[in-house]
Amino acid sequence: MEFGLLAAAVIALASLRLTLGFQPGGAGRDEPPGIGAARSWKVRLAAAGGGQRAARLWDAALLSAVVGLAIGRLAAMIGAGTNPLGHAVDILIIRGGVDTVSATVAALVVFGLLSRRDLLASADAVAPGALAGLAGWHGGCFTRGACLGTPSDLPWAVGGPAGVARHPVEIYAAILLIAACVILIVVRRRPPNGATAALAFTTAAAIRLGTEPMRLTIGGGLTWWYLAGAGFGLAAVVMAWLRARRVRA
Amino acid sequence: MAIESVPILPAATPATFRALLTASDRPVVVNVWASWCGPCRSEAPLLRQAAAEWGDRVRFVGVDVRDTQDAARAFIAEFGLEGIEHHFDPSGAIPGDLGGFGVPLTFFFGPGGVLVSMHSGVIDERTLALGIDDLLRLAG
Repeated sequence: MEFGLLAAAVIALASLRLTLGFQPGGAGRDEPPGIGAARSWKVRLAAAGGGQRAARLWDAALLSAVVGLAIGRLAAMIGAGTNPLGHAVDILIIRGGVDTVSATVAALVVFGLLSRRDLLASADAVAPGALAGLAGWHGGCFTRGACLGTPSDLPWAVGGPAGVARHPVEIYAAILLIAACVILIVVRRRPPNGATAALAFTTAAAIRLGTEPMRLTIGGGLTWWYLAGAGFGLAAVVMAWLRARRVRA
Repeated sequence: MAIESVPILPAATPATFRALLTASDRPVVVNVWASWCGPCRSEAPLLRQAAAEWGDRVRFVGVDVRDTQDAARAFIAEFGLEGIEHHFDPSGAIPGDLGGFGVPLTFFFGPGGVLVSMHSGVIDERTLALGIDDLLRLAG
């Protein structure tokens, strides 16, 4: 909430922009910009419909982020009992809160609609940026003062308001997500269509699942949902590879 | 739950409220709210859930400020906050005496009324859970 989601959107877009604009050393003139797994989508998009379709990806990502933030803000206002029509100026007060779930669903729906012709390749393209954005959301815990988890004796444990040393669990998650993002970007091998996005989804769910025992929750948390998400993502990765093998055969 | 089943909130002053905190042998989470406060509505379900989960070890106290009894009771009935002990502060003097400003506010007090931490604005799940965990560890 608050600035965390805004930071996530900005970092995700910046990461996507970087991967789109990066020209790897030694690349041929005809090769599209971008690197590693994040570049392979561009080859596919270009093959599917020319550079024009690939150029639309950035617009789709940007529009999805803006619509997601707006819908999330409206949902937060309605949830708090404030009529957005009666308090239109309040829509811009991000500190009043952005509903994360509504914002994410809205952004995904808009992106899905705008990229429906090349959905898998487009999803692959934004996957590393999405992981970076998620890292930004976890790192945004600094603005919420909510980085700390269960008590710890480790040397890097951070003292909380009451002086109890605790795991900086959100920072762990942010570091792991950034590492996953970098790996997806630098890996040179071109995975099958849709596999990069599925792998990113699996990694995000697994990181959340792995760090969950260090989090403090009210009402038990969402552990089973993260487990289901990791399983679903893994199944999608396997399916993408099996489909690619079948096509090759 | 109907508003009629919510009792009239007892009036409190900074002095009586300080006495309540000092006399408590359990840690206390104090939430300052008002029925007219939009952000208070978004954090109310979280506080209800926390009170249900830790109410046996931590005392949850609400302070309703600059409000009317009817509006406050309707708010309590709407969000099912009957499990939390509420006090009525029409002048809004208590949060200022505790060292806070604005609504909502959440204070975390150890046994005997020792202030451990304070959160200004809407409280999220993690911050509330962290504050309660700190209180329980300090209380042993």
